[in-house]
Order: sequence, then structure tokens, then C-alpha cells
Amino acid sequence: MAVNPLKSKPQLVKDFWPRFKRGAVVIIIVLQLLILVALAALLTTSGFFDDNPLGFAATLVAQSVLGIVASVVIYHLVARPMKHLLSALVHVAGEPTNIAPPNPNETRFEKNGFKPVLQTIYQLASDVKDPIEEGAQSAQSAIGPQAQITQPSVQSVLSSALDQAICGFVVLNQQHQIIYASKAAPLKVDTNGVQSLDLIFNDNDTIETWWAECEQTAVHAEKTWPRIPNKLPNEEDRRFFDVIATYNKGTESEMVITLIDRTHLYEVGEAELDFIAFAAHELRGPITVIRGYIDVLSDELSTVLQEDQKELFRRLAVSANRLSGYINNILNTSRYDRRHLRMHLAETTVNAVYDTIRDDMSLRASSQNRMLSVSIPEGLPTIAADTASLGEVFGNLIDNAIKYSNEGGAIEVNAASKGDFVEWIVSDHGIGMPASVVSNLFQKFYRSHRSRETVAGTGIGLYISKAIVESHGGSISVRSEDGRGSTFIVSLPTYKTVADKLKAGNNGNETLISSEGSWIKNHNMYRG
Amino acid sequence: MAIKTILIVEDDRFIGEMYVRSLKKAGYEVDWMVDGNDGLIAARNKPYDLVLLDVMLPERRGTEVLEALRGTEDLIPNSKVIVLTNFEQDDESRMAMESRADAYLIKAEITPSKLLSVIEQLN
Repeated sequence: MAVNPLKSKPQLVKDFWPRFKRGAVVIIIVLQLLILVALAALLTTSGFFDDNPLGFAATLVAQSVLGIVASVVIYHLVARPMKHLLSALVHVAGEPTNIAPPNPNETRFEKNGFKPVLQTIYQLASDVKDPIEEGAQSAQSAIGPQAQITQPSVQSVLSSALDQAICGFVVLNQQHQIIYASKAAPLKVDTNGVQSLDLIFNDNDTIETWWAECEQTAVHAEKTWPRIPNKLPNEEDRRFFDVIATYNKGTESEMVITLIDRTHLYEVGEAELDFIAFAAHELRGPITVIRGYIDVLSDELSTVLQEDQKELFRRLAVSANRLSGYINNILNTSRYDRRHLRMHLAETTVNAVYDTIRDDMSLRASSQNRMLSVSIPEGLPTIAADTASLGEVFGNLIDNAIKYSNEGGAIEVNAASKGDFVEWIVSDHGIGMPASVVSNLFQKFYRSHRSRETVAGTGIGLYISKAIVESHGGSISVRSEDGRGSTFIVSLPTYKTVADKLKAGNNGNETLISSEGSWIKNHNMYRG
Repeated sequence: MAIKTILIVEDDRFIGEMYVRSLKKAGYEVDWMVDGNDGLIAARNKPYDLVLLDVMLPERRGTEVLEALRGTEDLIPNSKVIVLTNFEQDDESRMAMESRADAYLIKAEITPSKLLSVIEQLN
């Protein structure tokens, strides 16, 4: 019979058996009738009917009874394995049926050797996930007959395809529960058996907080979080993902999250960071010795050295100190760029911070013939600062003032209380800058055309200074006039205004910064 | 209690000699060990007023020495500890050391005369 593709009713395995049975019964009856007719004709022509009509009738009856019994017995013997095979197939195909599937462990199957046949069928069915079976399962929940045919296969193809993808996919419903996650998605299960994404976001910048924002403001939105790790540094199998979330208000799959595994890309950065930590150790070793021995020698030789020789020692000291400062700048810039720069903020004063670099700065200014005058008033409000980092900022700004002013020029350092902020101000009367330079000043590696030719520098001092100041929740600004000099102002929040946030945030700067809502908020992670 | 005896645990010969020289000149009694094991033994055998401890040490890291000295119980209750390192530790280990030491200094930032003033402040 030709298969009609337009026929809406699907052909089922179980339909075959009744049809086969009907055909077999019809054939048995027809054959018996033919045998009877042939026998009657034979006996009639041989004259048996005329001689003994009673015997003739008895022969025909006996033949028909025996023939039918023999046929039925043969039919049963031959067709029974076929019947079991078919009901096993109906079972593995998942078609609805009332007949119990044949059990391969029954003694009769063991005796007649049919057991391995059934076992093979069941084995095959469990090895290969039968598309018909999947279809039958989801067909129960499907709505229309059309869906019964198309949707199941698309679903299974999709999920197996997504499982093979390197990217992870996670779908969440409106109740923020995970309703689908592909194999590559990093998941964790809590003690209540609830699945969630196993990722370490920065501070409060998580999918959940963004989702809450979206629920208030958006219908359709998308956001990307780059470089999100699933584990802390030094843990095994640490992976990095770029996370892309797509929000569709009110739909069944309200949040779709795509996770792109970028470990190969980002772990290079991690290795570089390790390298920089070791390189810093190597560079700082010789610097320790140079600075230390200059210190020891100039002290021990102070009675015998001539005044000009002492000046040479001061220059050695100043140069070694500057070298040390540059190495700190490079270290901090590399940490900052990899989001590993972290401040340890504690209550202090700008005066106390400046004290840590005061001698160095005086020496630096005097050895280069600059008039450095520092007037930081007593009794300024305290600030929350990482002393070493803020000292670097102050050092960088004074270093710049020295570099970009003239021999014998005056440099003033002041401080003042201004509302909830303390301002630390350094002014020079040097070459100054035009407005076009000021706007680019805090970019990494930026050096003005003019200074590139005349003044040495790396172009990272102001870049990292801005980063450090903003990590304190403060800001840095500049006023400059071409040919008249520049004034840099570091504005830092008073300790009083940030104390509560600091206490809540374990003295790190993350809570402080995220509350400021500034661009630096992703830049204060652990050091790796 | 005034600081008088000092143990230096430092593997770099240049840096170790530098500290020994300037500290002795300033009138302190100084012992110097070059690896972590010897440093730990010395610190446990003699009650120093101050231990200057490097981090990157052979045999036993400074972190382990400090853990052994002040981890579960304080074996040197009458001593002060200054950690001196040039190594960029990760935050967790650095904070662990800071919590057990009296000061944590970057060697490259500390000249012998600054070290003397830090010791003065600890007094």
C-alpha cells in the first residue's frame, strides 16, 4: 500500500498486528474452503459419494475440523514470536497501549531462546534516544496535531545542539528560576536544590541588580559583562566568561543568558599579572640596595664629604627614589588595567600622607633647584585613604610640577577643607598647557607634542593618579594657562562621609565606589 | 619595653648586611638568619624584642614562619614583628600577614634610616 504523506493520522506500530491477524484468519478460511471443494470434487469423481454418501459427508466434516485445528496451531506457533516482537516495539516506541510488554525474564522466553531477542530490542531502544518516544512524550502536552509533528523534533535538535556548543545558554522565567541551562553553563546547586549561575560578579554589578533595574525601566534590553570568573584566583579550573543577558519583559523566558568562555583570552592576562608581580620583586631588589646603600654611605661619610660631593649623593638618592616611584606607577597601572588595583582605606589626614613623602619631595625639589613651599593647615577633616597609593599620587603631581616648571621656579602645595571634601592643591608657575592638551591629560600614554620632545616621561603618571583618586571616591582636576603654569586639585571625601560605607564594606573601596556610580566601579577587584 | 635585640630573617646578602650594619651602628644587638627554617628556630629559641621578616625566603616562606610563630598560639608574645618584602602578595595573604605583624613594609620604600624611625615608633 502506498503511503499517503498527507494522511493526518500517524501510522503506528501497533496498527500492524490486528491487520496481520485479520489477513491470516481470512487466508486460513479460504484455504480450508478450497481444500474442501477440491476434496469433494475428487471423491465425487471417484464415485465415493454415490457408494457411501454418509461416509462422504463424514470425511468432509473431519477434514474441515482437522484442517482448521492444524492451521490455527501452526499459525499460533509461527506468529507468536512476531506478536511479542511487535508488542516490544510498540512499548519502546512509546505508543499508548493496554497490552503489557513481553518480559524477557519469563521462563518460557528463557526456554525457547527468545530472551536475547527481546533484550536486544530493549537495549537498542535505551542506547539511542528514540525520536518517536520523545515525540510521544511531548505530544501529550502539545496543543494541536500540527505541533505534534514539528515541535518535538525541533526541541530535541535544539537542546542537543546547544549542549554541544562551547557557549553556555541559560534561560530564566519571570520568577527568576532557571528553566533551561545547556551543558557548558557554569551552575551551582544550593542545599534546597535550587540552581543558580556559578559566577563571581564585581561588587553589586550582577545580573540580578540589572534585572531589577530592567523590571522598572525596560521592555527589551541587553547587557554584556566581560571577564567574569567562576572561581577565585588560585582555585582549580578557573574560567572566564563574557556574559550577555537579554531581557524581554513578561515573556515566558524573560531572561536569556549567553556565556562565552574566554578563558584562553583572559588567562594570558592572569599570567602577565603573575609575571608583573615577580618582575616587581626583581626590580625592587636592586632598588632597595641602591637606596639603602646611598642612605648608609651618605650618613657614614657625612663628616668627610665635601659639600659638592654631598650634592652628588643627594642626586643619587633623588634618582633612585624617582626610579622607585616609576616602578610603582607601572605596577599600579598594570593592576588597574586588569582590575586588580585595590585600595585599603583607613582614616588619616592629608598631612600624614604627605609626611610619608615629605623628605623625598624636599630633596627632589632642592636638588633640581625648585622652591617647594608646603603649607597644609592643621585641623583639616580626616580622609579615608590608602596612604601608600595616595602618597604616590601626591608624588606624581609634585614630580610633574618640577618637570614642567623652570629652574628656580616656585611650587606651592596647599590643602583646604571644602564642604564634604578635602582639597589638596599643587601649583607651579611653569610652561602650562593649552586647553587642547588639558582635555587629553589623563589618558594613558598621553604626552603632548611639546613635552614629548623636551621632557622625559612615561605618560602613565596622571592616568594612574586619576584612577587612584577615583578609587578613593574623589576626583582630580586641573586649571592651566599656556605659559603661566598649572594647578592640579585632588578632591577627597572626608572620612565622616564615607565611614559607614567603609565599615560595611570591610575597609575595601568597592562599596564606596559603587555608591559613587562612577566608571571606576569595575576596577577594584582582588589582586591575583 | 624598649627594643634592644633584633632578629633579621633575610636571604639577600646585600640587603641583610645593609640592615645589620645600620642597626648595629644605631646600637641594637642584631642576629641575622638567611633562611626561613633557621629564622623560625632562632625566633623560638631566643626572646628577641623585634623580628624583621622577609616573605620570599628559602626553606620556609615568611608567611609560614609567621603562621608558625603567631598562628594558633602566640609563641613570641614579647616580640614585635615587621614584615619586609618586595614581593607583591595577593590580598588575602597580605592581609593575613598584616593581621599578625606589627608592621608591613615594602623594602624598596624603606631605607635604613626610615627603618630606624619605624622601629623608634614601635617603641
